Amino acid sequence: MSEQGGWAQRRLPAAGVAVGVILIAGPFLATVVRSLLVWRDDSPHLSLGNFANLFGDPRFLSAATNTLIGGVCTTFFSLVLGFSLAFLVCRTDMPGRKWLETANLVPFFLSPYVGAISWIYLLAPHGGLLPTLLRTHYGLSLEWLNIYSVPGVIFVLTLFYTPYVYLFVTPPLREMDASFEDAARVHGASFWYTTRHITLPLVMPAMLSAGLIVFVTSAGLFDVPLALAAPRGIRFMPTEIFAMVQYPSDLGKAAAFGMVVLAVTVMLTLWQRKFLAGRRFDTITGKGYRPRTIRLRLPAKIAALTLETIYVGGGVVLPTIVLLMVSFSKLWTGRFLWRTATTANYDYILTKYDLTRTAIGNSLFLAVAGATIGVALAVLQGYYLTRGNPKNRALMETLLSLPLGIPGIILGLGFLIIALYTPLYSTLSIILIAYIARFQPFATRNVTAMFMAINPELEQSARASGATWKQTMRHIVLPLLKPSLIASWLMLFVIFIRELGATILLYAQGTETISVAMVVLSERSSGYVAALAVVQLVMLLAAFIVFQITRSPISQRSV
Amino acid sequence: MSSVRVQGLTKRFGNHAAVFEVSFDVPTGGTIALLGPSGCGKTTILRCLAGLETPDFGAIEIDGEPVFDRDKKIDLAPERRGLGIVFQSYAVWPHMTVVENVAFPLKVRGMGAAERRERAAKMLDLVGLKGFEDRSATLVSGGQQQRVALARALVHEPRLVLFDEALSNLDTRLRQQMRMELRVLQERLGFTAVYVTHDQAEAFGLADTVILMNNGAIETIGPSRQVFLHPRSAFAARFFGMNVLEGRLLETQADPRYLEVELSPRLVVRGVAAPEQDLQPNGRVLACIRKDAVRVYRPERPEDATGVIVAASFLGAEEEYLVDVAGVQIQTIGPASGLEKGEPVCVAMVADEWVFVR
Repeated sequence: MSEQGGWAQRRLPAAGVAVGVILIAGPFLATVVRSLLVWRDDSPHLSLGNFANLFGDPRFLSAATNTLIGGVCTTFFSLVLGFSLAFLVCRTDMPGRKWLETANLVPFFLSPYVGAISWIYLLAPHGGLLPTLLRTHYGLSLEWLNIYSVPGVIFVLTLFYTPYVYLFVTPPLREMDASFEDAARVHGASFWYTTRHITLPLVMPAMLSAGLIVFVTSAGLFDVPLALAAPRGIRFMPTEIFAMVQYPSDLGKAAAFGMVVLAVTVMLTLWQRKFLAGRRFDTITGKGYRPRTIRLRLPAKIAALTLETIYVGGGVVLPTIVLLMVSFSKLWTGRFLWRTATTANYDYILTKYDLTRTAIGNSLFLAVAGATIGVALAVLQGYYLTRGNPKNRALMETLLSLPLGIPGIILGLGFLIIALYTPLYSTLSIILIAYIARFQPFATRNVTAMFMAINPELEQSARASGATWKQTMRHIVLPLLKPSLIASWLMLFVIFIRELGATILLYAQGTETISVAMVVLSERSSGYVAALAVVQLVMLLAAFIVFQITRSPISQRSV
Repeated sequence: MSSVRVQGLTKRFGNHAAVFEVSFDVPTGGTIALLGPSGCGKTTILRCLAGLETPDFGAIEIDGEPVFDRDKKIDLAPERRGLGIVFQSYAVWPHMTVVENVAFPLKVRGMGAAERRERAAKMLDLVGLKGFEDRSATLVSGGQQQRVALARALVHEPRLVLFDEALSNLDTRLRQQMRMELRVLQERLGFTAVYVTHDQAEAFGLADTVILMNNGAIETIGPSRQVFLHPRSAFAARFFGMNVLEGRLLETQADPRYLEVELSPRLVVRGVAAPEQDLQPNGRVLACIRKDAVRVYRPERPEDATGVIVAASFLGAEEEYLVDVAGVQIQTIGPASGLEKGEPVCVAMVADEWVFVR
């Protein structure tokens, strides 16, 4: 576009990018500076003492090892499960695949913390629903299944990260030009050979990208280790940082730990951008036929449906059932009795208890305000990244996408350090800012992809027709972006409603959220926690349903 | 008065000059075509006219109003230039109906809903889309989208309408039809038009004046007929599909009206030099002739034959031949006459049709 395009066109998108950069640079610099400061005689000194302190701590090594093992195993299992489910849904005639296509995505929208506590209710050695059921009816013992363990963490994480892989792999699997596979078959390759040597390599770039994202985000997730590892003293990186901030706190050591994590995630993210970006194949030619549907024989059909049942059952159905049971029980003992069912828990958290009522209000406010601000920023940033100064675009895109890999608790730590020295401490504003900083890049990525799909000539002909930049944005660009704006808004809403890692460091009395309230109440009553979890679940499912309704197939293709 | 005046227009992308010191005028109500191969800079000129690209040097006036002048630091935004534009992709907005698309230029100019609908409907009638008003813009065919884009570019009666490869996405039959309709519409409404195209038939069919572009600069400018019939350079001759053959200018001439060029020891042709050529006697020249100015036919007696058919390619109404005349291979095109490869033929070339360039 013309460089003389007026004040709004030149300034607004650049301002959006500047806000994004500040939101990343602020906590990053705060963490760097704080990690290098040590207090002696009540005054700060520059020192590497915090790092020496950290590396000399045997707990650091144990936390790092567990986090690494957890991350690698979660990534591996998610990749296998995600690819299998995507393949079944996209490429076979598995019965009910239309319905399962949606069902496989549901865990993506649910809270991992709630998932973890549901699995405690399901599997806890004493008072778990499944062990109690099997013991009383079949005399079987499930004592050996210990959910409070590293494998327990991996299990729940896998349930929640499989949809990431699924989302990455579905488009190439579905839209791949059939001639790639047909050529292999015609030239003598069997189905399995073709899948292994043609299909899998073609989706490999998507698999690697998904794997890296799963590794970085699952290893940084606070929710699951908090519920499943911390109670047994098993150390993970996020819970260890949380512990360092608690009384007696050692903010310097926490910041040093944060620096280590930041260095690793930033390096992995940059590596991903540099090497994986260039390895993408153009599997979608726009011509040719869609891949053929593979007809499953009966044993294969049974195997496929069993896998789906285990996944959807473990990720969605069982946790929902047990949450409902616990929330309607006065005292949870591992079995649900209709005659003692009560709505007292709901009554208490919704009408009587100030903490939970405040928390629900705060969560809704944060989610609505955060999603709205986030989407507005995403439009400006997306405009800049696709239509702005070409010289700065690549650098800005890299900078703006950095938070995608940074664990919420690390960014929360950065904002906590900032908040301690500003009036923002213990306000909802600092939580809102942290949410936007950490998760808004998801929206930018979404909106940018949509911007790229819009032919610039659509805007140029509006300008040539006499519309100003603002009129063009209002009448042409925003309506065309609408599907991606709605999707991005709902995605941010969902993420903010369930966020825990950043909030846990930033909340104070009066600024609790639903997730924080669940953590606080988990010591007291499983009934309150479950009722609160169901309330949150209803909000998340509502967002998911709106998402499914608005995700209509029109307009995306014709632009 | 000139409707468009472009002076010293230069646009660089990095170190590459996409357009270099281009100047031309288009009279009010005139039509001009920027013709050339891809990458010659013709689209860049159009985008500079529209204000979608900022030139590095030069000045542009539209209807006597400077819209760009580097020295005076003038650069009007696209919406302030009062233009219409039709893109190759049509750029019909998919989220609007046909009539919303067409009425958009009126809407942003603040016209009331009822009046703009009426004007848009009138314009749709003019381009042959009566009754399509409330269709979704994406549900009409490619040819109809093209007409929507055209109606949108004309509805606000702009002083200048720009066409960027506007007919290239249509199939051959539709393209010929649109070309005629566009010509009629242009004469009826009297707007000034600038066409960008790589298709010579489109350029000659639509415009009174043709600018042939080569590598960012103007190669030839002039009335359509003259540009086509009298190429001034080998580039122009090749672009228009002529035979371009290397030869030597003879010093002595049998007829003072013509120059003589030796194409091979046994073949000397007569013709005229293109304007502004500095041809040296005995020097190397390029002899150009249109394919359809060379005729081949079966001789009455075999000994009258002057050439041999090397290859024949049947095109339907016409037939294309490659013929060897005294060791020189010349392409011809003419009515399909069923001559076969290896057949001896008579070759006739009109002296006036040979044009010599350096």
